[in-house]
Amino acid sequence: MDPIKEIGQVDRLIHEPARLAITAVLSACESADFAFLLHSTSLSKGNLSAHLSKLETGGYVSIRKSFKGKYPHTTCALTTTGRRAFERYQRQQMALARHLGSDRRE
Amino acid sequence: MTVQPDIQDLMRRTRHYEFADGLRDLQLALMFGLSGAGIWLAFSPIWMAFLGALMLRYGRWAAWAGLLWVFLPALAVFGMLGVMKVLRSRWLWAQTGTVRPSRWAVSRRVNLISAIILVGGIAVGIGLRSLGWVNEIFVLRMLWTATGWSFGYTLVGVGRELDMTRYTRIGLVGAVASTVILLTPIGFGAAALALGLGWLLVLSVSGGVTLRGAWLTAGKATGRGSD
Repeated sequence: MDPIKEIGQVDRLIHEPARLAITAVLSACESADFAFLLHSTSLSKGNLSAHLSKLETGGYVSIRKSFKGKYPHTTCALTTTGRRAFERYQRQQMALARHLGSDRRE
Repeated sequence: MTVQPDIQDLMRRTRHYEFADGLRDLQLALMFGLSGAGIWLAFSPIWMAFLGALMLRYGRWAAWAGLLWVFLPALAVFGMLGVMKVLRSRWLWAQTGTVRPSRWAVSRRVNLISAIILVGGIAVGIGLRSLGWVNEIFVLRMLWTATGWSFGYTLVGVGRELDMTRYTRIGLVGAVASTVILLTPIGFGAAALALGLGWLLVLSVSGGVTLRGAWLTAGKATGRGSD
């Protein structure tokens, strides 16, 4: 498919900047806790929670809640669906970048 | 967040996190040091005499003590994992969170080439011996040198894949040091000790310096006074 036409097919669940940052971080590890995601993405706690919920509802992220002593501890991981979706998103973006680069050269 | 994030940078920093405090370097240093020392000891006359005396006094079961050196490096590695977990959860990662790294820090390609270097090195040693150009001790030293080259290549590979020049440098230094062992006229046990101590030194320095930096950074984040 023409990369330009694929723009319309881009995964909007991942494409949103905050969710893209979250999936990028989770794609580079087995799992990460809420504190690490907060530190890496510089999102606010509420914002991060909201986006994680959306990703979980979409089946891209699994969230596990536990306790470390008295404190709640949330661990997040990309599901297999989420990893495939992120890889597909990356391929689309790279194809688009190559297409635009070749257009510019012409 | 309204601006598209630099996802390559985010992914790179996440992959670096596991190695950014130097504890993995120290764990490897411990493994190499204990392995090298254990092998040297196992082949030394002092240990043999000691084992013999133990067996005379306490019976044949005492011979099992001779196998202790086999398990010690593995026990040390697992023990170090526990230490790392405590240090990270209480201090180093207390503010910045916890990550479970990807299982494959090293790509299959790097692992394959590393294995080829190891096997190839040993094959070269055996080949030279069959031609009569070297003696048996050289072939045994080649075993350790090839191990050093193989591990050195793995570190260089990790350094390139994770974009961490620290590992590229350590890998090259270690590989050169392993070559020195090959050219030094020492026995099998001494070569193992030299390899183990060499990697212990290189990895300890790397890990120690990195850990100090990470500790100071974590201290600033928690408001602890610097040491």
